[in-house]
Amino acid sequence: MLKKYYSLLLFVLGVSLLSGCSEKSNPSFDQQNFASIFDNSKFDASYFPIDMRETPDGGYIVLGGRRLSENSDFAGIYLLKADQYGKFVKEIEVPASTGVYPVGKLMEYQTKYYFFCMDAQTLQAQIANVDALLEAVSVTPVQGDLTYPAAASFANNNFILLSYNNNDKLSVISVLNTDGGILKSKGYDIGVGSDDEIITEKYVIEHYLRTGRQWPFEAGVMANGVYYFNGFYNYTFSLVFTDAASDDPSNVAQGQSDKGGLSGVSYLGANKFALSRFSYGNNYFLPGKDIPGGDPASSDFGGFTLPELVPDAPVKILQAKTDTKNALVYASNTKSKQIGLYFYEQETGTFISSRYLGFSNPYEISSLIQTSDGGLAVCGTTYLAGRFPRICIFKISKDELNGQLSK
Amino acid sequence: MKRRYLVLLCFLIAATVNAQEKKRSGSDKKRKSAAYNKKAKEDDKFLEKQWWLGFKAGPNLSKVSVDKTYAVVSPTNYDASSIGKTYKNFSLMGSQATLEVSFYFKGFLISFQPTYQRSRFEYSNQFNWMDTIPEHNVTLNYHQEQKLSYAVLPLLVKYDFLHGRLRPYVQLGIYSALLLDATTIVTVSGVDQASGGANEFKNEPIIVGSKDLFAKSHWGLLGGVGLNYNLGNNVRLNFDVSYKYGMSNISSTKNRYSSDRLSGVGDAMDDLTLDNVAVTLGCLFPLRFLSSGFKTLDKK
Repeated sequence: MLKKYYSLLLFVLGVSLLSGCSEKSNPSFDQQNFASIFDNSKFDASYFPIDMRETPDGGYIVLGGRRLSENSDFAGIYLLKADQYGKFVKEIEVPASTGVYPVGKLMEYQTKYYFFCMDAQTLQAQIANVDALLEAVSVTPVQGDLTYPAAASFANNNFILLSYNNNDKLSVISVLNTDGGILKSKGYDIGVGSDDEIITEKYVIEHYLRTGRQWPFEAGVMANGVYYFNGFYNYTFSLVFTDAASDDPSNVAQGQSDKGGLSGVSYLGANKFALSRFSYGNNYFLPGKDIPGGDPASSDFGGFTLPELVPDAPVKILQAKTDTKNALVYASNTKSKQIGLYFYEQETGTFISSRYLGFSNPYEISSLIQTSDGGLAVCGTTYLAGRFPRICIFKISKDELNGQLSK
Repeated sequence: MKRRYLVLLCFLIAATVNAQEKKRSGSDKKRKSAAYNKKAKEDDKFLEKQWWLGFKAGPNLSKVSVDKTYAVVSPTNYDASSIGKTYKNFSLMGSQATLEVSFYFKGFLISFQPTYQRSRFEYSNQFNWMDTIPEHNVTLNYHQEQKLSYAVLPLLVKYDFLHGRLRPYVQLGIYSALLLDATTIVTVSGVDQASGGANEFKNEPIIVGSKDLFAKSHWGLLGGVGLNYNLGNNVRLNFDVSYKYGMSNISSTKNRYSSDRLSGVGDAMDDLTLDNVAVTLGCLFPLRFLSSGFKTLDKK
């Protein structure tokens, strides 16, 4: 009789042990890691992401552009909300009458997410904002004559905007408050002469029409209050430093016409930047570079060469922190049509490891952020069936990021 | 190895014979009339216990049950169910090989049957993109085949219905399966009607090692019926049909998206339990003998 009980007990213990060791569903895993492609079944639908932010509910807002129609000049504004698991929640296709040509960054201020766009008729720059739940988009015209917004960032409760003045052929850097009031603004000549027509009409305008190369425009401010922008200046695509008031820039990291310049700029502090540069189709990463004075040429900056990247590749740079390491994550497009992630130590600039996202269909980088759980979220464009441009998000967990940085 | 087996057999035989001899020498020789009955009783007692060792192999078919579905593609303007995975159960044949060690006691057997099991299952899903012009559409069909190799460790209780030459039995038990290897094969085919005509295509299969996408182990219940046929030379032929009923998730919840290649293709594993029906054929050998002639008395 006792033996029977022992047998039963052993059976129950065995089942309990097996059950205890089995794979359990864990919603936090679904949040830490996912891959999502947001598909629309319309044959002629076309979406491309510009920037992404994590929302307080753990979800994500993606600022993107969309194809309006065959004959439209500029891309329309597209906003997408995904939940913390990367699943589609909501989208807004902002009417062209409200605004066109969305420009990153997508900037968080108080409870709103701000970005710049353009009036389709007047080409006037506008400040747009949306809430975290994507309930409504509000657009406010900039209080001044700023056209063709190119890049923006947010610092000290002000916007720093790089725009283009097509009448005077100027790259314009401006400081605006959140109501659109211009606090500072200064334009710098992109260059005149025989190349003038080519630079202005071909390079700049085709960028806005998305019929040509997408230039890596950037704008920001350093800790010492000096503003910088990566844009056209004096014939070349250059990194320009200015107080946004003086007639001449305080320093310029010069490019080489449209053939050389900086493809990625991320300010690290003091006089230090994490940079990437392009030069005649080649790509170089410079994790940690002090910009010397005296108008240096970016072609002299050196850097690690990346032959696996597409010619003149777009590069996004992120400062990522783990429990033990400060890292720089470079993201770019590879010739194998994947998104390549390259991890460097921030202090030393030493390469740590790399990872490649996407397969089979082409994938292109748009934005990457570090999430509140310590992981990474990478936003890009994929071409479903090899042709339909759709927004995708890859979420990499903190553990995986730590693993990447421990290699 | 053969030598060790022979030594083990000899030891078992010697021990058994010695035990029997001791019993015999201790019996009362004067009561000869009762000797036959006593021997018969001893034989019956001997037959109450037996160790069996055997090998069996055969094909298997698998079925999966979805606990929770996952997808990489998240539709924005159509229902997600239209691109859901369709599983095809019991469609792809796998195989298995089993080593059986059983202990028989009064009609019941406790059986440990370590098994190498290779299971296969498949699913597919479809994507459509349409234009306002009806002829302009593209259809993509994704077909995924999963090949899984497990070391299955089942512990069973068997019961023999009959005690003749033909011995049907039923069996019930639990098992734990340890993942050894996994491979995923994705084949994309489709019809592209956007180029002015129906262009049917089928891409080369994408073959990816996917061990990380599956749980390192899972467990389940096992039941089945079988038949032993005694050939008369101590060897039993065995025919066995068993059904493994998976009780735990075979997918890795943590590594669901860890394969950048499969995520890039748009594939994410659902939370699944794996059922498996196996038919095996094999033979069993007794390990406990009554005499040096390897007679087990089990000659019916």
